[in-house]
Amino acid sequence: MSVVPRPGLPVIALVAAALVYPLAFGSPAAINVGVLILLFAALGTAWNLLGGYAGQISFGHAVFFGIGAYTSTVLLKEAGLSPWLGMLAGAALAALAAVLLGVPTFRLAGHYFAIATIVIGEIAHTVVRNLDAIGGARGLFLPILPTSLVNYQFHNSRLPYYGIAFGLYALALAATLMVERRRIGYYLRAIREDPTASRSVGVSVLQYKLAAAALSAALTAICGTFYAQYVLFIDSDSVFPLSLSILIALTAILGGAGRAYGPLLGAGVLVPLSEITRIAFGGTGRGADLVIYGALIVLISVAQPGGIAALGDALRRRLPQPA
Amino acid sequence: MEIVAQTVASGVLLGLILALSAAGLTLIWGVMDIVNFAHGDFLMLGMYASFFAWAVLGLDPLLALPGVVAALGLFGVVVYLGVIRPVLRGSVLAQIFATFGLGILLRGVAQFVFTADYRQIGDTMATGSFAVGPVHLGLPQTIAALGALIVSGLLFALLDRTTVGTALRATAEDRRAAELMGIDTRRMFALAWAVGAGCVGAAAGLLAIYFPIFPDVGAVFGLLAFVTVALGGFGSVGGAMLAGVLIGVVTSVAGLIFDPAYKFTVAYLLYLVVLVIRPQGLLGRA
Amino acid sequence: MRAWLAHLAAVVVIAAACVQPGASPAGEGQPTAAAGVFPKEVAIGAVYPLTGALAPTGVDLKNGIDLAVELINSGRSDFDLPLLKDGGGLRNLGGAKLKVIFADSAGDPAKGQSETERLITSDKVAVMTGAFQSAVTATASQAAERLQVPFVNAESSSPTLVARDFKWFFRSTPDDSMFAENFFQFLDDAAKRFPGQVAKKVVILHTDDLFGSDVNKFVRQFAEKYTYEVVGSVGYKLTAPDLTSEIQRLKASAAPILIEASYLADATLAIRTLKQQDVNFQGVLAMDAGFVDTKFIPNVGKDAEYMLTREVWAKDLGTRKPIVKQVNDLFRSKYGTDMNGSSARAFTGIFVIADAINRARSIDPVKIQEALKQTNIPAPQIVMPWDGIQFDARGQNTKGRGIMVQIQGGEYVTVWPLELASKPLIWPMPEWTKR
Repeated sequence: MSVVPRPGLPVIALVAAALVYPLAFGSPAAINVGVLILLFAALGTAWNLLGGYAGQISFGHAVFFGIGAYTSTVLLKEAGLSPWLGMLAGAALAALAAVLLGVPTFRLAGHYFAIATIVIGEIAHTVVRNLDAIGGARGLFLPILPTSLVNYQFHNSRLPYYGIAFGLYALALAATLMVERRRIGYYLRAIREDPTASRSVGVSVLQYKLAAAALSAALTAICGTFYAQYVLFIDSDSVFPLSLSILIALTAILGGAGRAYGPLLGAGVLVPLSEITRIAFGGTGRGADLVIYGALIVLISVAQPGGIAALGDALRRRLPQPA
Repeated sequence: MEIVAQTVASGVLLGLILALSAAGLTLIWGVMDIVNFAHGDFLMLGMYASFFAWAVLGLDPLLALPGVVAALGLFGVVVYLGVIRPVLRGSVLAQIFATFGLGILLRGVAQFVFTADYRQIGDTMATGSFAVGPVHLGLPQTIAALGALIVSGLLFALLDRTTVGTALRATAEDRRAAELMGIDTRRMFALAWAVGAGCVGAAAGLLAIYFPIFPDVGAVFGLLAFVTVALGGFGSVGGAMLAGVLIGVVTSVAGLIFDPAYKFTVAYLLYLVVLVIRPQGLLGRA
Repeated sequence: MRAWLAHLAAVVVIAAACVQPGASPAGEGQPTAAAGVFPKEVAIGAVYPLTGALAPTGVDLKNGIDLAVELINSGRSDFDLPLLKDGGGLRNLGGAKLKVIFADSAGDPAKGQSETERLITSDKVAVMTGAFQSAVTATASQAAERLQVPFVNAESSSPTLVARDFKWFFRSTPDDSMFAENFFQFLDDAAKRFPGQVAKKVVILHTDDLFGSDVNKFVRQFAEKYTYEVVGSVGYKLTAPDLTSEIQRLKASAAPILIEASYLADATLAIRTLKQQDVNFQGVLAMDAGFVDTKFIPNVGKDAEYMLTREVWAKDLGTRKPIVKQVNDLFRSKYGTDMNGSSARAFTGIFVIADAINRARSIDPVKIQEALKQTNIPAPQIVMPWDGIQFDARGQNTKGRGIMVQIQGGEYVTVWPLELASKPLIWPMPEWTKR
């Protein structure tokens, strides 16, 4: 079986859509939404590796996001290290953290594990906020450098960020598709469905879960570095909060966890939804946007618990099948 | 020394309220395996109910308490019927999603209807403080804690001494077996939500006596409630009580020993340690 | 495979369609480059926390801004403020009216930044203002700096904001470092009035966020300069439901003076705990925030008596400066509460912006930037207790200062500086059991 997926129709469609989007809607607001969609799609896809495929529901992924953002930023400020190299360092650190955290926690049952991830996230959030050595509560301002790819900063147009975000998503998607088709993918799905049976046929449950966790963490951290370079300011509240962890998980769950394209669908709905409601209603100060956002999430989950992808399946079943 | 005594005392008082709110959460969790991520926001609604009973009807929060409990209990049933039951056939993930969305919705509605202003109930029957030796206990907190004990006792009695309670526990232990024994599990689910939400309502009504009320107040207590439930063991009301008090005391004392900014971190670390050593929580089923 | 394509395309189309409202340019008031033709409206962008935990303050700020805009646009000549005797609107732009477009930062720096970009590029605002929280102001003004549009900040107090060497950032309010110094100037003056009753030891209680940690840092810095000893700093997490351990630490420090940086909920909790546990101080000096919230006195009630807080504005300034009373009365009649430091500063910020645009005689950002640099508004023409508004090379107003107010009889009373005081200071604070 081939290691690199041959570009199938969905991939081509994806690339085409991504190219068309900024050409059709060039305003900075639209580009920003596009960047956010791709960023969350990437984050959700990374989460999916652990949550959807390996079955470990994590509500603490912001930890890896934050590790990525802080590692590359601190290395940039203290050692002048290129953010691209810092990104790799962040990814490595996050993967290590995932393994260290996974060993004691993976044997916890579903709900306990989820709460443990929330708790670990909150610990990280508080600790980093109080660590003055890396900015503490004041956060870190990234030095403003001239626009260039090497500097990983673009000031006049946000389009290059859009391109990089697409690259991040493509990377996460490629990782997912590879995992799906290689042995590890089968093992992970087996583990998710029935860990005991898997163990009984000699599959090392822990080993594969840790591998999935490490990969998921590394990809998430890379997105963290992207965020730092995009906003040029980070603090504990913006990269480590629980709300971000939940949003990442939600993106995958809404789209359909355990499916390669699920997170993209999820991000494609959640991000514009949140942006429209905030722009249209947020200015009144009465939280009308939260009402709509929350109501929609509830309605979608009640009407189609399997997520958007399941909705897609249900629709597809109604379409006439090819002869 | 008196400083330590004071700190421990305050921790116990807070812990009892935490315990009561966690009891409601763990009941639902134990009976039907649903984590109500909107738990903190249920608490918020209960606090607003108490506030408006005081502001509009002039009812002292202690007098309004039964009303608040009933109102929240009813709300719990409505949520079960409208949101939870449809989502039961979906995946665990979808269930999380549903209650999480509900939480956001409730928060948004609260902000929309009540505005984001902080409300506070003024002087009530329970204002002031009294001293037990060198330790000063706030009257509101003490009454709230006592209230928590009483309500928890009632909950115990319900679960332990009544037929309904036994049916609830049976459903929690083994849904299939309970069904086979003729228990209408769907009604048990609704009941779990009613009683669970009612407990949260009680905790809310007691908290409202002295705590400020605003749309995001749920976030303050939500996570602590989850940690308390997990520490105590899912489904174990006794465990929730024990864990609540433990967390209350640990966070309070930790604030004395370590930098107070980390006082919850210590409680969280304690939770992680206990979980690694004893994954089902203190009193949970193995 | 076909179905996947359809789904994907649908997602992109939906997403794009959703974005359309933001992508369309603003309607009338579109600035034109045509010489000599003035726009009917000048758009100003304002990004504030209109949802989330700080929404109540966001509403205060919005009210202050709305009032200023209304006064300027209607030309209320009975108010002795800049531009109001010109018959309505900006005279040098043919009577063009101000229009403020609000956006919600939700307290998030990333959102603050993207909303600023949207306001500048889609709504084509001439000037930006915002964003209350210093972290959000940091990223929002960064966007404005990149896009070369002036950003006038009226209420963020972190000193780091003017340490960035920005050319388009202007701040009218003093910052936390100036305010921290005010504390010790006040204590020195109090020691002169009450010799032997003002201790030299202080303890600090602060939130562990940017605001609190800044206050802690600067209080320590100036304590050293003014020869006061900081016995300890107690930082706490914002969402703590109980502050017993923190208060007990304060008690253990045995310092007679407490300096506090808290928001509304925690300030309320802290004071109640102080009272319940009978922890007493000669004086409690708060760094505004929660202590000056409109709900503070209603929520805390009598227990708030004798508390001191640094403020930027007080209602009783109206006794020495009638314009303050006049504006506050109007504010009160429209919004049901008195102004406070937030609404007053936001109100003032609009005047700074309008005055600059008027002098620039244009909505060209470069001209407005130039005009801002030349700003020189005298003390009698602002509702703030400052010596005026004039920006230095870093964009900071050098003529601002804080005042100290004390809660007496359920009201905020200015007690320092002495030339602005409306009533004498009460010191020390009576013990809890003796009230």
